[in-house]
Amino acid sequence: MALRMWASSTANALKLSSAVSKTHLSPAAIFSLSRCFSSVLEGLKYAKSHEWVKHEGGVATIGITDHAQDHLGEVVFVDLPEPGGKVSQGGSFGAVESVKATSDINSPVSGEIVEVNKQLTETPGLVNSSPYENGWMIKVKPASPSELDNLLGPSEYTKFCEEEDAAH
Amino acid sequence: MRSPRTLEIFKMGMISYLDALILQEKLVLSRKSGRIPDTLLSLQHPPTYTLGKRRTDHNLLISQADLEKMGAELHYTQRGGDITFHGPHQAVLYPIVSLREIGLGARKYVERLEQTMIELSSKYRVRASPGKPGETGVWVGDRKIGAIGVRISNGITSHGLAYNVNPDLRYFEHIVPCGIADKEVTSLKREVEEVNVPADEVVQDHLVSCFVEQFEYEDAIWKDGSALRVCDVEA
Repeated sequence: MALRMWASSTANALKLSSAVSKTHLSPAAIFSLSRCFSSVLEGLKYAKSHEWVKHEGGVATIGITDHAQDHLGEVVFVDLPEPGGKVSQGGSFGAVESVKATSDINSPVSGEIVEVNKQLTETPGLVNSSPYENGWMIKVKPASPSELDNLLGPSEYTKFCEEEDAAH
Repeated sequence: MRSPRTLEIFKMGMISYLDALILQEKLVLSRKSGRIPDTLLSLQHPPTYTLGKRRTDHNLLISQADLEKMGAELHYTQRGGDITFHGPHQAVLYPIVSLREIGLGARKYVERLEQTMIELSSKYRVRASPGKPGETGVWVGDRKIGAIGVRISNGITSHGLAYNVNPDLRYFEHIVPCGIADKEVTSLKREVEEVNVPADEVVQDHLVSCFVEQFEYEDAIWKDGSALRVCDVEA
């Protein structure tokens, strides 16, 4: 896969590395953001509320981004729905608790929940250590795949994070 | 150049937990749609025990019936954190702010809430500090003086902090506060050297000023809470 350099003020400080991962996300190029040291992956779509979605083989896998888990702090509890429920784009489907704050998680797409990551009940910290892989949250059968067009691509999401952090 | 950051502060006096919850839900929606600026509710509650999203009711040491006989209420909430008590002479602040606009994540927001209470304590010459990792809140030694429990929905905060000015600490004996056993709860009254702590209202207003400072608001507008009746807030 060709690596693309993002034309931005952080270009000089970008560290590029390719990671071969053993899950369905391999191979992926990982870009580090010099400003907030969060990684953003190719091949995923992103919501402004900091969730990612991977659409593959008719199933959308959803989780929260590295930027999100970094800003939350240590996750101590993840509240997820049961399979069979419905989600809608932008609607809340659960919550993560970290340092006495419960934050809602919103679904980037609408559809039916087909699978939920039960590992997060025992090991909520997976959201911090592996936000794009073992920390995945739900899998959804998308009701209308064209909704993905409303989401941000990796470079747009990277820029969005930079702007959000710069606001402080 | 961005426009000045404004905080509207409403002094609510003593209001029930449920009324405050309904009000916050409406304010969160108004804040989300940009109809109102960042808003802070400054209030006290009648005796009330609350549980967080994880519903850790094993940390409630008496039955709900006994609790009600004491004249207290019990509420299950969507906020983070464990079980706690709210009551008269405890300063409660509920900030309804847009974290995205101030560029803070949950962790930094909670840290700033801790600093608000630490700063207030130092004004009365009480040395408070944040808890150890996993023990969020504000402590004087190993005695807890302030608690935090926050909810973040679409980047807008609700619930907040509770600081013990001079509540009846015996109410805390019926719970394992915040799920942390073997640690005492304390109050500003108990910790200050001088006999006389100023009136609750003075201390509480001071706490609000510390919040304004910690969160770097350029404009703070104080309003009477009676101007914000539950039915008046449009979602």
